[in-house]
Amino acid sequence: MKALSVVLLFSLITVLNASDVVDRAHRLELSGDVQGARVALAAGVQSAPGDIDALTEYASFLNRYGDPDCRRTNARLLEAVEKSGDRDQIVRVARQLVVLDLEAGDRDAALKHLDAYRAAGGKDWAEFSGWKTAEKTSEAQQFIQIPGPMRSFGRMAAISSDTNPDDILPALARNVVTNGYQASHSNEALEQTEFLKLVHRYLSQARELEKLAGTEKIIRIETCDSANAGELLRIIGYRMRGGCGSEVVLETVNATRAFLTTDSGFPLAELEQALRTNRPFVYDYHPAAVPILYGADYWLSAKEKETGDFLDSFLGDPSLCRLYLGMSKLDRQTADELRKAIAVQRLKAYAHVLDFFGGMFEIRNGKAVAPGGARTEAMWTELTGAPPDQGAAFFDKLIAKDDGWLASFFDALLRINGPVKAYLTDPVRMKRFYMAIRGRVTSPGPARPVFRSNADMMLLTTRLRVDANGYPIIPGNLEVWRNLFITHPHGKYDGKLTKAASGWKEPDDVIEALFGLCRKAVENEPLKIFMALSDLDRHRTKPLEPDTVERLAHDYHVYGNQYAVFNDSPSLSDSTIISFLDIAESSSKIKDPLLRAETAGTLQALVGLWQIFSRQGSIPDGAADATLAGIIAPFAQIRHDPELFDAGRNGVRLLLKATGSPDSATPQQRLLDLLAGSANASDTDAHAQVVQEMSHILEAQRIISIDALFQLDDHLQSLSKGGKLDTALVSRLAARVSEIQLPKASLTSVEKNAFAFGYWTEKHVDAERKLNLRASIERISSDAEKLKELRGALAPFLRDTLVSYNYIHYAPPGAQVLFTNPLFVRAHDFIGVQGANHTWRSAEVFGTGWPSNGGGRLVGSLAGLPYALAEAEQNFLVPSQTQALIWADLVPQLILSAKIPRWWNVTPAQVHWVGVNLRYGKILLAESAVDPALRVRVLELLSLHAVPSRVRQIDRLLADGEVKTALDRVTPHELFALASEMSRHDERAGGPLLSDIQSLRRAHATDVSTQAISSAFGTPKPTLTNSYRPELLGLRTFPTLMGYSSRILAESWESNTLYWVGLADELHASPAMLNVLIPEWTQKVVERIFASHLEDWPALLRSLRIVGDDVRARARTQTSGEQKASLR
Amino acid sequence: MRFRSRSLIVFIAVLLVSCALLVWAQETKTPVFRTKVDLVVLTFTVTDSKGRYVNGLKPGDFRILEDGIVEKISTFADGNKPAVQVNDDGTVRPLIGSAGDSKPGIDPRSDAFVGTNVFVLFDTSNFMYRGFVYAEDAIADFVRGLDRADSVAMYSFSRNLSRAAQLSRDRGEAIVGLRKVVAGDDTALYNALLLTLRDAAKVPGRKVVIVFSNGPDNASMVAPDDVRAVAEDEGIPIYVISTNEVNKDPISSSVFRRITTRTGGKAYWAKTWQKQVEAFESIREDLGNSYTVTYYPANNPNEGFRKISVEIVSDVGKKYRVRSRPGYRPRT
Repeated sequence: MKALSVVLLFSLITVLNASDVVDRAHRLELSGDVQGARVALAAGVQSAPGDIDALTEYASFLNRYGDPDCRRTNARLLEAVEKSGDRDQIVRVARQLVVLDLEAGDRDAALKHLDAYRAAGGKDWAEFSGWKTAEKTSEAQQFIQIPGPMRSFGRMAAISSDTNPDDILPALARNVVTNGYQASHSNEALEQTEFLKLVHRYLSQARELEKLAGTEKIIRIETCDSANAGELLRIIGYRMRGGCGSEVVLETVNATRAFLTTDSGFPLAELEQALRTNRPFVYDYHPAAVPILYGADYWLSAKEKETGDFLDSFLGDPSLCRLYLGMSKLDRQTADELRKAIAVQRLKAYAHVLDFFGGMFEIRNGKAVAPGGARTEAMWTELTGAPPDQGAAFFDKLIAKDDGWLASFFDALLRINGPVKAYLTDPVRMKRFYMAIRGRVTSPGPARPVFRSNADMMLLTTRLRVDANGYPIIPGNLEVWRNLFITHPHGKYDGKLTKAASGWKEPDDVIEALFGLCRKAVENEPLKIFMALSDLDRHRTKPLEPDTVERLAHDYHVYGNQYAVFNDSPSLSDSTIISFLDIAESSSKIKDPLLRAETAGTLQALVGLWQIFSRQGSIPDGAADATLAGIIAPFAQIRHDPELFDAGRNGVRLLLKATGSPDSATPQQRLLDLLAGSANASDTDAHAQVVQEMSHILEAQRIISIDALFQLDDHLQSLSKGGKLDTALVSRLAARVSEIQLPKASLTSVEKNAFAFGYWTEKHVDAERKLNLRASIERISSDAEKLKELRGALAPFLRDTLVSYNYIHYAPPGAQVLFTNPLFVRAHDFIGVQGANHTWRSAEVFGTGWPSNGGGRLVGSLAGLPYALAEAEQNFLVPSQTQALIWADLVPQLILSAKIPRWWNVTPAQVHWVGVNLRYGKILLAESAVDPALRVRVLELLSLHAVPSRVRQIDRLLADGEVKTALDRVTPHELFALASEMSRHDERAGGPLLSDIQSLRRAHATDVSTQAISSAFGTPKPTLTNSYRPELLGLRTFPTLMGYSSRILAESWESNTLYWVGLADELHASPAMLNVLIPEWTQKVVERIFASHLEDWPALLRSLRIVGDDVRARARTQTSGEQKASLR
Repeated sequence: MRFRSRSLIVFIAVLLVSCALLVWAQETKTPVFRTKVDLVVLTFTVTDSKGRYVNGLKPGDFRILEDGIVEKISTFADGNKPAVQVNDDGTVRPLIGSAGDSKPGIDPRSDAFVGTNVFVLFDTSNFMYRGFVYAEDAIADFVRGLDRADSVAMYSFSRNLSRAAQLSRDRGEAIVGLRKVVAGDDTALYNALLLTLRDAAKVPGRKVVIVFSNGPDNASMVAPDDVRAVAEDEGIPIYVISTNEVNKDPISSSVFRRITTRTGGKAYWAKTWQKQVEAFESIREDLGNSYTVTYYPANNPNEGFRKISVEIVSDVGKKYRVRSRPGYRPRT
């Protein structure tokens, strides 16, 4: 039918004139049929080649959607307008082509079109006088030689083959620093890890092979019986079995050497094949030339220069590696100034500080760029002992101060912008807070470990909020925090702070105390409480009352992980929050562990559903508070199972009522519809696909439908009131219960006691296994009381069903665990190991890698369920690169960012807004290559997101006209932020994209507001914001932090969804399809990441673009096939 | 400027032709009936009292029972010989025919039921570090020695699975893939085995999975018995060659025994290279000497685990021992 409609459309187009075609295309585009509009315009151009109007409209359309045909069409248009002699048109089209050529990396074409533009009277870019032919630096690029192919060395040194050459040595340095050395068992010195030993052994083998390769650097074995065949085999640790000829087989003779051979990817199979067929084996063994900053001599001591090779010295000295890593993070100009001013040995002594905090250092015109600007100069001078205008001397003092505490503060302040920065860089406060962080004993400093230990300070400076008057917002009031620090209900925070707290008078006192705790290595609970409550207040229509804050602060230790629940409705009342805490507390006191687990599971599952429906807008904000209050109230006093079942059923009723879902369907159908998300009538295909996927998981988990449970409950109630036994109904429903056929526990009791983890979980499942419903009903059918009690036997099943709804909503793509382990949902352990109460903690994955335990399971509450499910699933992803490993702490966050948000209510205008802004961002960068003044503005905005070294790198590339390479270094989020900011103030001659942006802003002001776009295309940040509400925060990409690894890095990464939405706009996919496509694309991105280390976000960006290009290529093939079919 | 104008007649003609096409498409639309196809593929070996393989038996020599219900054999294959279709009267005819002859679930392609699809799953985790290269040699020898009709896929795993070489009859591809695997870290054996089974299940014909590992698993999310259930249901025998000693890791040993026996495969403990070669030789023999039958289960109300038994009808056969998977759980 689709092909037929294209035929009809094409037929129709051929009899219309140009303006009709344009009108029709415009109508199609407005109606949401963007693909139809494209076909119409393409057909218009095809039927009237050379028609300027048709070409203009088509080119403009392609430009708006970033279509790859755009450049070609504009070139055709230029030909046509040149023939017509219309100079204005030539100026417009040639200008457009300059930008497109630059984006495509074709500088020659750009210059040609620039000439055409100027010749026709174009006035823009008057200052542009040409690009440099090559990068002019003060020194020529220098290299070191690594024996053998880079691919082999990369395999051994864990460096991705996709790594940019300039980044190879820094990546090697990082791997040596983080993985190359460990504490020695016998003395205080460090010893090499197995990883580094293998790198050394590989280099030794590679040098032998290099020798064999001779001056040509080619390993050449002419025939099987050549003299050097034996030598090659000896080096690589193999021998021939069988005589030369078809029987020859290579087998290991020296396992150590053979391991290096195979692990480094030596082409052993090819060698074997060559020997077998008696053909020459030729292997290029040229050494890999790797760029090195300042040349090898700069880094080596006189002794090292005499005695050995750079690489050996480098690998053997972790502090040298750390210095190299630190210097490579600085922008080139700053690094040069430091190198000239500070001796290498002194820099090496502070390499750890440079490594962690040097990335934000910047010297411009000889002056250090310090946070706070001119007003803080005197204070920085006082704190460091050198004024910022002395550039290198200032940084020399900064890195040497207090073992890195001052540098870490300097770094944290440079990473933020806006009013918080203004507050924190008030000179008096700055000194005060610094002194708090520094403490009396400065050692060990924050840069001593291999991961940053000042995570808390970065979180505090990033998440602190200030009011309109520039004062920090303190949840509750000062009194609450004073009490907290004085009474510290769950362990002492700090003796001095406890004493000082009684004298606190202003919010700065609290902030100072929080800074003071940031330096402690132990868990910083007050800061966590502060951030959690601050985040709670952030979205609320009315701030929390001090009493509520006091209670939340007091109970954080036990219930803190649940607080994210309160973030999903801004109008939740204080009384409901307090009730929740009361009920959680009372349910924790239930003595029977099984009933306690069932109660916690049912309560949390209902609250989880409330959270999902509130977040999705299915429960109107006005009804959210009453609904939650109604759901939790019956759980206040659960004494036995029938009460629990009633409470569960009541919760379902309230949820369905609050959502207002049509009651024509069964509760199960209604809930599944709601869980998939509220779709429009036009999105039924995508919606049905999501519902079907969820139903499959329910089947795999053998979950009894809520309909069956409610029907059985109704009948039991009717029987207890003297109703007649409906044998058919009971048999049917009892059969549904018994047909679950839960797999039997795979362990014997002895095995279970010896190896298995978890006790109450088995009890829950065992109780379900033992239930013979039909027999029980028949036995007690005349006893009303017992029949009522029997309803309680359904409570565990209801818990499973409700918990499973939460699981299916957050199920990661693939969901192998959910499809394979039929007990996974039932095995959720709400109690945890004896002695450690997990009931209200975040869900965690337990029991992996224990063949005897019946599989991994989740333990804890349903808070953190999305992350835990993604974590459980990530090892089922199959990396496309043999040696690429899935990035353990980053991947779950990427997966949940693709699963939690739903895009049913996204409008086509919002999708196009993102697409057109991303494209506008590209244009801005391209124009910056020919417009130095624009470049200054663009780089200034980029510097709010990118570190100085990257900004300067982009600057150099743009100055050289290398726009395509520059674009590769800008993330989609940065591009979007740049475009959003510039489009508000861009007063230059519009261009089609800017006018498109402006008309979207006029026509859809609410939809495309910053707030609406943030909610629609942001990501959930449970660690950073204590909330699952998607939002865009526009943060710099975080480094890995001790205690969080790359989880916060992943939460600060906001580019994926924006990129996908831009792609969907380009491919004219409907917004509803995002619900299906984004999880699928995200899985592919994860499988294609080939990173060298935990901060290698450029690898993530590369993967994102590779997958995007694949999707584009496939879509083009499909579109071109459809168009060809229509033409036929 | 205007487009080329076309007369209204042309447009109407195109429209009419299009509408006619639409009507024709609707009229000639063949109704599509979707049925649930549960073709069961059953592989088993027959040995005599001395443990020697017995070949050359015919379809009529066997009786297949599911929960005691006799099943009608649909196709039959002896070792690597091409499969034959079994007629109602017990006679056989070549399976290869036109697509119209094929039954649902049976791939009519000429090679779908010839040879075995062998999925090798190689443990490259830290646990295998010491014996890594010897293991590679043994696997390479095994691949080279496979029957010409067999296809082989080479997978490796540590924390994640890696598809080093896709299923192919080209031994070179498999060996190149094998030689390119890289040593990893954690061991998620049962996760990887599950993914391998999922891949194998998509391939028509007979298939086996051969796991080469030393045993301990420290990263899997799924339990061995859940993975075993998938293999059982899909009819894929699992063979395990453990490079550990049987008593060194009793849990893994017991698991290996359970998953191999229940799926119709075998477990071997082969610490030395020589033992590994012998284990592979034994598997190869198994593959070349096994029978494969397919059938559509007769009506059976049991939606749970269905017990399969293979009986040899002839008197002489009563002395023989049949090794097959004990049953399966039908797809829901």
